Amino acid sequence: MKTTTNFKAAIILSVMASIMVACSSNKKPIATDTATEVAGSEVDFKIEKSGAQLWGEVCNRCHIAPSPADYNDTDWETISLHMRVRANLTEEEITKIESFLKSAN
Amino acid sequence: MTLIILGLGSSALAQTYNTFEPSKTQFMLRGYGHTGFEYLDTGGEQESTFLGATFAPIFLYKHSDKLMFEAELEFELEGNELKTGLEYADVMYVLNKHMTVRAGKFLLPFGTFMERLHPAWINRLPSRPLGFGHDGIAPASDIGVELRGAFDLGGPKLNYAVYVTNGPRIKDGSEEPEEAGMLDFGYYEDVNKAKALGGRIGLLPLSDSSMEWGISAYTTNSTGAEDSDYKDVGAFLWALDLSYVKSITPLQGVVDIKAQYNSSNVDTATYYEIEDGISEPYSFDNQSSSFYTQLSYSPIMSGSDFIKQLEFVGRYSDFNAPEGAEWEEKSTQYAFGLNYWLSWRSVVKFSYQTTKMEGGHDSDGTTRTNGLFVHWAIGF
Repeated sequence: MKTTTNFKAAIILSVMASIMVACSSNKKPIATDTATEVAGSEVDFKIEKSGAQLWGEVCNRCHIAPSPADYNDTDWETISLHMRVRANLTEEEITKIESFLKSAN
Repeated sequence: MTLIILGLGSSALAQTYNTFEPSKTQFMLRGYGHTGFEYLDTGGEQESTFLGATFAPIFLYKHSDKLMFEAELEFELEGNELKTGLEYADVMYVLNKHMTVRAGKFLLPFGTFMERLHPAWINRLPSRPLGFGHDGIAPASDIGVELRGAFDLGGPKLNYAVYVTNGPRIKDGSEEPEEAGMLDFGYYEDVNKAKALGGRIGLLPLSDSSMEWGISAYTTNSTGAEDSDYKDVGAFLWALDLSYVKSITPLQGVVDIKAQYNSSNVDTATYYEIEDGISEPYSFDNQSSSFYTQLSYSPIMSGSDFIKQLEFVGRYSDFNAPEGAEWEEKSTQYAFGLNYWLSWRSVVKFSYQTTKMEGGHDSDGTTRTNGLFVHWAIGF
């Protein structure tokens, strides 16, 4: 039983590690969703989401998106770092959301 | 002379104003609290009570853009006693854009309910699904070290977490014979040299991040003390979770679906029960599982200011504890709720819940419990 447990754990942790390594390339993301901001050249056409759009999409996954006016800029910086780790958000997501909250409060 | 006075005055004003500039380090107090009323009917036996308020302050200390300490305390009145707890207390450092390290006592990413959804102002119902919380099979928190991060895959996103912790202790029945074989995730002291390894991978396949699938695993080679008969009793747990949150225009609102399946497999061991003063050995296949799925709908696009604050919730959950154990149990629960959101972080919840339990601690029959709940939760 102990061997079986170790085997299952090894398989699952190996899969996790493989995915982590596979995803750690520097390939630029190319999104094809609704455009709110367009950047890039003729070769590398990239459509990026705004902080407001990410605020609506990301925060609502767990709780109602917060009102920007409820905290000041300093507080939003602290909350953003906390939420980046708690909800496991990408750096781009939290950076844009934080910028939006600070600009809209 | 006048110019000198004005100059000194403006200098003093500037110094005063500067004291209001943000400091390099930042400290913040957040948290949540809730209270309510419950009416329960358990097999014809009724009881009703106002619930003692629960207060859970969260302390956030941001040392720099990469370094932070976070801690959450819990204060809850249980009867006449004030119950206190340390939900988590950890220090975290952002190593790079894809990796953060945490150390201390932290919420475990075993599925998503306990890590992300359990706070009263986030949980859409007053209660937790079966299988979570006291006597639950899903680990909630532990002491150790964790690496976590997220990647943008060019639309889809992926997040991960891997951790090493002290791990659980198996209840051998010496203190609570009716719980022999149960894993105790609330025993944080390390009882042996073995550690628990775990992790979760979450995949958000849609570019609007509306859907997330997650798979979690948690294992340890030993759950018993070094000098005990249970030293070699290992455990393997896994979980699948799903989240789907989408604003749907034809429905004029937001649909929120959550689900999680937990499975616990503990190595078979021999336990002892005392019958007529004689110690009798017994064992059982120590496998448990639990499941919940929840659907909520908020008509936020309604033209009525009152209706757009409402939320309708339904949840099914079940829990299966091992056959042959003293804590053998098969339970199913249905919960229905109507919430009114006073703000994005304050909600009044009205709910009805019915639970059918076969077995359970020292019980062989079937028990049905119906309950009415009114809870008021606020985050701050």
